[in-house]
Amino acid sequence: MSKAARERTILSSYDLRKPSVKIGYGLMLLALAAIAFTMLYPFGTTIFSSLKTRQEIFVFPPTFLPKHWTFANYSEGFQYVDLGRSFLNTLVIYVGMATIPLLIMGLAAFSLSQMKIPFRKTTTLFFMSTLMIPSATYLIPSFLNLQSLGLIDSYWALWLPAAANAFNIVLLKSFFDGIHKELFEAARIDGASEIRVFLRLAVPMSLPVFSTLLIFAFTQTWNDWYWPSLIITTPEKLPIAPVVYRNITQSVNIPLNVKFSVLTVVMIPPLAFFLIFQKNIMHGLNLSGVKG
Amino acid sequence: MTYSRLAKRFRDHFWGIAFLLPAVAVFCLFLWTPIAKGILYSFMQVDFVKGNHYVGLDNYKAVFDNSVVGIAVRNTIFYMLLGVVIGFWVPSIVSIAVSELRWCQGFMRLIVYLPNIVPAVVLYGMWQYLYDPLGPLNQILGWFGAHQVMWLTDKSVAMLSIVLAETWQGFGSAALIYLAGIVSIPKDLYEAAEIDGAGILQRIRYITIPGIRHLYVLLFILQLIGTSQGFQTHVALTGGGPNNTTLTYMYQITNEAFIRFDFGRAAAMGVLMFVALTALSVLLYSFQGRSKAA
Repeated sequence: MSKAARERTILSSYDLRKPSVKIGYGLMLLALAAIAFTMLYPFGTTIFSSLKTRQEIFVFPPTFLPKHWTFANYSEGFQYVDLGRSFLNTLVIYVGMATIPLLIMGLAAFSLSQMKIPFRKTTTLFFMSTLMIPSATYLIPSFLNLQSLGLIDSYWALWLPAAANAFNIVLLKSFFDGIHKELFEAARIDGASEIRVFLRLAVPMSLPVFSTLLIFAFTQTWNDWYWPSLIITTPEKLPIAPVVYRNITQSVNIPLNVKFSVLTVVMIPPLAFFLIFQKNIMHGLNLSGVKG
Repeated sequence: MTYSRLAKRFRDHFWGIAFLLPAVAVFCLFLWTPIAKGILYSFMQVDFVKGNHYVGLDNYKAVFDNSVVGIAVRNTIFYMLLGVVIGFWVPSIVSIAVSELRWCQGFMRLIVYLPNIVPAVVLYGMWQYLYDPLGPLNQILGWFGAHQVMWLTDKSVAMLSIVLAETWQGFGSAALIYLAGIVSIPKDLYEAAEIDGAGILQRIRYITIPGIRHLYVLLFILQLIGTSQGFQTHVALTGGGPNNTTLTYMYQITNEAFIRFDFGRAAAMGVLMFVALTALSVLLYSFQGRSKAA
């Protein structure tokens, strides 16, 4: 954002000289600080409770920092879940999620945007009308469908349906639409095949949107617990979220401080991912937000 | 059309069609087939052993006769209403405030979006602790001399607790969408309004809010569609209890399917959901159209 655009917002610098506005602005800052606090507090308690003793979690008055730093919670927590294996599973699933659906949707979006095809309107409608149908309608039939296709307990049941996402096709298509047609025409005249045009020109020129989708795929793969727990029936093949849900979150026997040790570990990769890629994520949110 | 012209058309379109084919196949196989099967199964008794057979409207009749479904519908509407009353206005107000920040704005955006990044399973654990009868929330209430609240086991509070938790973790993404809209409002409008003597609240009322009006409509519809199908937090935090007070419609669908194994009835409930949501969006759009014309 340029400096000129930043010069004023709803309030001008003239307003801010009035004492009544100053007080109001101060109150607003306090309210925002309170919101920031309530946003961060639960993360703080999760992390610090994982280092408290069993008794200290429910002491009155509550403590924020642990009195006795108990790192033994972590070694105890790791006994309840095979984090290494489920982490590897998650990684394998993510590699598939980052390639197969993106390739399928990218090709389709490129075709809709930049290539000669018959029945363009009908095809677009074929994709877009799925946005009107709530997932509640096909959640259960999807499960039965995957069952009759013999895909239950296979990662393909996660990879292939992820490509049936009309919203992402719209997003990709609108990005391809913004690239000049002449560029692709020039490459075609020079003898480049369509696949080459797509992989060597269209994809590199749309890195922002692809990186956005890669990030979304990561958070989805890491966070989704319900659907994988239905589809993957062998416990050893489950990704991390359903494993933690079953063995930690829903467990009634594991004390909270030990639970929090595992939850802290599960929370760190997406947080790190977010802090590293925050620029791309914020940009991507604007991208998808504007499209609505 | 002669053969050569057909061949030319085929050559012209070959790669375009080839690029589309995988997506068309995936959409057919994993989206349109389940949708069609859902409608089909809603008229059938689904039996993996003896095979499916046609039962007419029996599934629908069973759904309407089931008193639990009635409870689930009421809970879902209550849940949607609470979501609007508690959650809908929060992101727009926060985003107006954040847009006025002259420093730390990026930091604030980051913080507000943080809960969206963290896995739901972690948040569930967090809320189990915060909502524990002896947990921090009740201790804070204790300081003010208030009674203990059984956040997740009191019939009249459980749904509220779920909505509070979901608002906390969900309002950030909506706030960022509003923020993008607020930032794109031309600044000279405020300048002109100020010169004409409009106060701060008037500027918000007549410039900012109309400027993001389309986002209000969009996010309202998205929230209604989202909450009408909500069930995962309910599964994780209360298991539908106490005494079915947090059992939502979508939750009941999964119960019919994976606990009672009555897939036909679950499919019928899914179709009814589609009808209800379509009616709702038609209603909202026509309402929006009328208010625009006025």
